[in-house]
Amino acid sequence: MSHALRVGVPKEVFPGERRVAATPSIIKKLTKLGVEVLVEAGAGEGASALDAAYSEAGARVLDTTQLYAEADIILKVRAPIELGAGAHEVDRLKEGAVLICLLWPAQNPELLQRLSAKKITTLAMDAVPRITRAQKMDALSAMANLAGYRAVIEGTHAFGRFLGGQSTAAGRIKPARVFVVGAGVAGLAAVAAARALGAVVTAFDTRPAAREQVKSLGASFLPFDWKGESGEGEGGYARQMSEAYLEAEQTFIAQEAKNADVIITTALVPGVPAPKLLTSGAVVSMARGSVIVDLAAEQGGNCALTESGRAVEKFGVNILGYTDLLSRMAPQASELYGGTLVALLDEILEDGQVVIDYADEVVRGALVVHDGKVTWPPPRPAIRAGAPAPFVPPTVEPPPRPIGSPWPGRIGLGLLAPGLVLLGIFGSAELVERMTVFLLACVVGWHLVWSVTPALHTPLMSVTNAISGIILVGGLLLSRGRGLEPGTLVGGAAVLLASINVAGGFRVTARMLRMFQRAPDAAARKK
Amino acid sequence: MPATVASVAYLCASLLFVMSLRGLSTQESAPRGNWLGIVGMSIAVMVTLAGLLWPADPTIEAAGAEVLSVYGGALIVGGIIGAVVAARVAMTAMPELVAILHSFVGLAAVLVGIGPQLAGADLHTHDTAHYVETQVGVLVGAVTFTGSVVAFLKLRGTFTSRPLLIPGRHVVNLVLVAAVLGLAVLGRVEPELALGCVLGIAGISGVLGFHLVAAIGGGDMPVVVSLLNSYSGWAAAAAGFMLSNDLLIITGALVGSSGAILSYIMCKAMNRSIWNVVFGGFGEAPAAAATGGAPAGTVRETQVAEVVELLRAARSVIVVPGYGMAVAQAQHPIREISDRLQAAGVKVRFAIHPVAGRLPGHMNVLLAEAGVSYDLVKELDEINEEFAHTDVVIIIGANDIVNPSALDDRASPIYGMPVLEAWKAARVIMLKRSLAAGYAGVDNPICYRDNTLMLFGDAKASVNKILASLQTP
Repeated sequence: MSHALRVGVPKEVFPGERRVAATPSIIKKLTKLGVEVLVEAGAGEGASALDAAYSEAGARVLDTTQLYAEADIILKVRAPIELGAGAHEVDRLKEGAVLICLLWPAQNPELLQRLSAKKITTLAMDAVPRITRAQKMDALSAMANLAGYRAVIEGTHAFGRFLGGQSTAAGRIKPARVFVVGAGVAGLAAVAAARALGAVVTAFDTRPAAREQVKSLGASFLPFDWKGESGEGEGGYARQMSEAYLEAEQTFIAQEAKNADVIITTALVPGVPAPKLLTSGAVVSMARGSVIVDLAAEQGGNCALTESGRAVEKFGVNILGYTDLLSRMAPQASELYGGTLVALLDEILEDGQVVIDYADEVVRGALVVHDGKVTWPPPRPAIRAGAPAPFVPPTVEPPPRPIGSPWPGRIGLGLLAPGLVLLGIFGSAELVERMTVFLLACVVGWHLVWSVTPALHTPLMSVTNAISGIILVGGLLLSRGRGLEPGTLVGGAAVLLASINVAGGFRVTARMLRMFQRAPDAAARKK
Repeated sequence: MPATVASVAYLCASLLFVMSLRGLSTQESAPRGNWLGIVGMSIAVMVTLAGLLWPADPTIEAAGAEVLSVYGGALIVGGIIGAVVAARVAMTAMPELVAILHSFVGLAAVLVGIGPQLAGADLHTHDTAHYVETQVGVLVGAVTFTGSVVAFLKLRGTFTSRPLLIPGRHVVNLVLVAAVLGLAVLGRVEPELALGCVLGIAGISGVLGFHLVAAIGGGDMPVVVSLLNSYSGWAAAAAGFMLSNDLLIITGALVGSSGAILSYIMCKAMNRSIWNVVFGGFGEAPAAAATGGAPAGTVRETQVAEVVELLRAARSVIVVPGYGMAVAQAQHPIREISDRLQAAGVKVRFAIHPVAGRLPGHMNVLLAEAGVSYDLVKELDEINEEFAHTDVVIIIGANDIVNPSALDDRASPIYGMPVLEAWKAARVIMLKRSLAAGYAGVDNPICYRDNTLMLFGDAKASVNKILASLQTP
């Protein structure tokens, strides 16, 4: 290939889709990877990005036919779809081209066949493994974060009341109660957004790990424990649960739903229809005017009454089954999604060429079609210890018990007791008296020093250093007479040494203590 | 002067020392505590001198002018030396100063112990208790003396900070202790050898002190310095027993307990037993473990510009200083950065680990010197919960005290040590000279975390660059 690799960004054809795979700012990042970027005319319209902006960013704006004819790599948001009249979006691609988009391989087996027939190397953004290194390519989390936020905004809009509480002259407004079902990335984003608007938020999740994350956002967490089954699946996702479990879960959620003003459901299990967590019975029990936002609508919905893509009112409850929440935030969603695409492209580009490395865990995970063969699902990777998902902090073992045995203390007491007995039997009255003073002083010292604030431990050392210079009294007492004798000289040497200690210790302590000050004093000193 | 006057004066001095230590419990009362100590010491010295001039025991001759001039000269010269050194010492050199001061107390205790014999006094006119007291005083004093000198040299860097591990060192220690015991018994049964035995005990104890401290690695110096502090107290107390002087006993006991508690706190902060530290050798096994199972990973290097950007965007920042900050003298620019961030409305705190630095409370003193308000400086327990809600953590010159292996890696030699959980913050910036392991010789997985950015280079230079960029808007 003589020309630089060409990356094409077509317009999304899915009805109602406003996102685009790359915004003008993403174009700049793509160009930095050493590729030429082609953009279909009008591709960014839904995301407020004009063709002129793309040209300015360095892309060539072409029409559909030209774009597909020239592009070696196609970046898309949605998976290719039927275009009607027997045509399919896949037919537009050059044979042997590379396609990167959200593909949902599990739900689209015939699409995989179609792509493999055309020898399209396909990477599914939704199949990027959730490992630490791949966080910047995690399009699902990036999108879920936006969806969670938008769900709260849409829900609040339909709810028509304050979310936060207020005390006004005209009366008190109670804060709304928001119940978030499923505390994944979207759920947590919803929790945070609802909290920020002042609502009282409760969240529910079958994965125990979610508790800490929910709590950290200031919401309360509903624990659900059923016969010890945990909902923690692979890679931080939830897993599918048994029938009986689901039934218990529905009853549990129905209990909570009664009190909720806004329910946001985000429960998704990879590769299967969304679990029906909110039964119609639960909806009936809710207050009129309350709202359900079903983020799982596209996968069938978490609520039995959800209608995909529409807002409906059932039993006085507004049930929002919007599937275009991300298109409602198209500029930002496109920007973030484009960012994940750049990261993945960076992974597969080497010296301006596409290099598919089967040993690269991330690439292998995302690769669904290659060399005319369907390569999905990838072979199960070796079990990685604690591969953390985004938002799931590494599990930390409970702090280990400090080393230390009670034995030194026991031995000490064991020695002290017979020692005192021996002292009583053989010691002179004077020795006993000195011992009394000594032991009591030890106890006093022990208690005194524990009360010293740790910040003053260095001054404590220098003060004790100074007062241990009291040994100079011992030096002075060596002289027992009028004139100079060896004792006096030795004593003088001891006094000399000890007085260095006394003066040095006290002076340096005073110097240090002058430095310790609180902000107002410090400000005063500076003046 | 009646003996009771001296006793009451000594009692006053003892009470003043107790109140002096009590004063150190808070920053506000600490300067007064220091003054009380000074007053107590002055009373003790003056009363003792008065006792020499006007002896309570009429059989003892009053001290003459020569004696007074020797003692007066010693007091004045020693006082001036001490005051000048204390006024000049850099705060980063506090550990060295404290160590060398301990050695003076140790040597003074040895002199007080052997003084009477040198002066021709006969130990055998006294009972066994007195004999034992003398020898204990000499033993502890000599160990304190040489041990402190070695600690001083290690802290100054004159002496290698690596542990000196001679084969069979425990046996050597045992032999030395046995020799001391043997000489003590010999001196008691053979009166004419008493002087030689006392000098021998002093010498052998000195070798013991040297060897004990030489075998301890530089990273354990906070414990060693506190232990020597404790020993210097016990040496003074032993002298008090020998001289039947309650003031020395009480003061020695206060100092002894103080040092013992500090050592205990330090050991706990490193999750090590005191025996493990005292008998040294820490640092050999871990080195092997580190090369064996090093969880090597990729680190993300950063530049000053990015750090400044992060700091500008942050709402809360925690600074974790370690010994490296002291070495680089970076506390002043760090304080200026903190001031600047605070002026911009950023919440800044400093997190101090108990064993950060080479002396208990060393980091606090340095930050205080730089003018950091002490209510911004937090202890481990106060701050650990906060990391999770913090935007940026700056780790400067610290390593082992922020090592996550201490919590989750059973194989790690520092497993179980309480650490500052800095990695819980959104972003961690680690200022480091290179990727070398910390003092414990243990690899630090915090460097490989996704939220950690490494800023390599000299800590002071890096900090100054950050400050300069923060100052230019």
